[in-house]
Amino acid sequence: MIIIDRRKALTLMGAAAVASTLATPALSQSRKIRVGALRFTSHSATFIAVVRGYFKDAGLDVELKFFQAATPMAVAIASGDVDYAVTAVSGGLVSLADKGAIKVIGGALSEEAGIDGQKILASDKAFQAGLTSPAALDGKTFGITTAGSSFHFMGSQVAAKEGASVTFKPLQKVGAIIGALKSGQIDAWSIVPHIAKPLAGSGKVHIIGNISDYLPNYQVTTVFTSAKNAADERSMTQDFLGAFSKGVDDYNAAMVDKTLGDDGMNEMVDLIHKYVYADRPREKAAKSIINGSMRLNAGAALNVSSVEDQLNWFKSEDLVGKDIKLDTLVDASYVKTI
Amino acid sequence: MSEKSSKPRSVEFRGGGFAPVSHRWVGLVVFIVLIVLAEVGTQTGFISALTMPKPSDVLETFHQLYVSGLLWKHLVPSITRLLVGATLGITVGIWVGVMIGLFSYVRAGLVPLVAAIFPIPKIALLPLFVIWFGIDEASKYALIAFGTFTPTVVATYGAVDNVDRTLIRMGQSFGLSWTSIVRKIVLPGAMAGILSGLRISMAIAIILLVAAEMLGAEYGIGAYILEAGSLYDLERLFAGVVILSVMGVLVSAAISAVERKLLGWRT
Repeated sequence: MIIIDRRKALTLMGAAAVASTLATPALSQSRKIRVGALRFTSHSATFIAVVRGYFKDAGLDVELKFFQAATPMAVAIASGDVDYAVTAVSGGLVSLADKGAIKVIGGALSEEAGIDGQKILASDKAFQAGLTSPAALDGKTFGITTAGSSFHFMGSQVAAKEGASVTFKPLQKVGAIIGALKSGQIDAWSIVPHIAKPLAGSGKVHIIGNISDYLPNYQVTTVFTSAKNAADERSMTQDFLGAFSKGVDDYNAAMVDKTLGDDGMNEMVDLIHKYVYADRPREKAAKSIINGSMRLNAGAALNVSSVEDQLNWFKSEDLVGKDIKLDTLVDASYVKTI
Repeated sequence: MSEKSSKPRSVEFRGGGFAPVSHRWVGLVVFIVLIVLAEVGTQTGFISALTMPKPSDVLETFHQLYVSGLLWKHLVPSITRLLVGATLGITVGIWVGVMIGLFSYVRAGLVPLVAAIFPIPKIALLPLFVIWFGIDEASKYALIAFGTFTPTVVATYGAVDNVDRTLIRMGQSFGLSWTSIVRKIVLPGAMAGILSGLRISMAIAIILLVAAEMLGAEYGIGAYILEAGSLYDLERLFAGVVILSVMGVLVSAAISAVERKLLGWRT
């Protein structure tokens, strides 16, 4: 039997304290940051940089925070709960930038001619009634999550190009839009390919066009951070973007340009599957993950003119203040601009 | 016996109090003080623009809303949804509640059912309602009706249960028929409880209005608030919330007026 008196206990505590300090020097150099993510394939670069240790190599100890939608993530950046995140430019993001809370610092997902991008969908009911191409959109209803979302932007741009007037139905959640589209309560919608293709496979929904035909080089998602990080934490932000870009390169090589062959793609699918569709079996998830492959901008380059187009559209729709300047939203000093 | 207690003791008046007295201006002062504090805080920068909008900006947004005519465009559909939905739910609710109160078999059959559907968050059923009633007005009416129904039932049968039994016995000894007792004693006696239940049901109806307008509503106060929330436009958000609050106060005042009219016999 071991009897621990007061002196022994103190010695033990001291030893434990010394041991814990000895064990940590490697970690103590890395900064702890939180990165927001959605469980979408478009966030793969973040996952790759975490799993392959690119963030760790850059001296960043990343903790992933998962969200269900883009707007709460933008609010979390504004409140300082999350340091960096990737999401679509939305009215909420612009408003928060206007309040001096956040900055767009780089680009991520973008439409590119020749690569399968976001699809325009029609419900079976509307398709049978003649909505077989976006040209027939006039007088139809178009599903969106909320006013000022990327869906709202895409829908209105397609409608404007076709000279059609459509009614937008806000349904808050992607799931609700899918339900409404399948049951024919709304006529049309646009969404990333990994959701569009399985829906079209069900026969209740039809693909009637590509977003890239209407919005070439559309900057779908951007990398953003708090205004404070963008202004005062330059080296940390550069480190983050550097590590993130390595993830982007790996993703593009394996999934978009397919230079690594089938083995490289399978390895990448395994990695992404840990985060996306983790509740589905590997073979089912793999199809969706491969379907969802879209170009992520190399070096997190930012298509400023596309972002400006989007900003101008928000202003013209009176969704954000008229006097917001591009500089308020974007800090273009970090990455190459296109 | 001590000498002290033998002396006559003066007893001060202990009555009074515990009777609500009307001080209408106090409520107004509380509102004004809070708003002035918020205005001063936001003007001086003590409260950041991210935390709270300036009350003066909210007022300006509200003014814009009124001038542009959008106020009525949002208010009319919302008030219609509120009135149709709440009328449906409350009418059926009072009827079912009275039946439960009067008939033991109905009580045995329906009280567990009401208890089972009361705690269901009606918002969770919204996608289902869209399939059942379509994406247009019917699903919104149904959601509000369903939400007001259960609290009305519970308040109504509780009120019927609490009607003074001695009055009913008295009616019976005077030879009143069953329908006369229900009409002249039970219903007037339960009215106070039913009306105070209505205050809760109507507040729930206003809460559900925002939920009902989550799906497919272009215009409406709830849709306006949700849009402002997703755009992180705090001025519009607060303008919308103030409209809901005013609706709540007006509904409460209307119920008070009905109470004064229907319950005049109490005084």
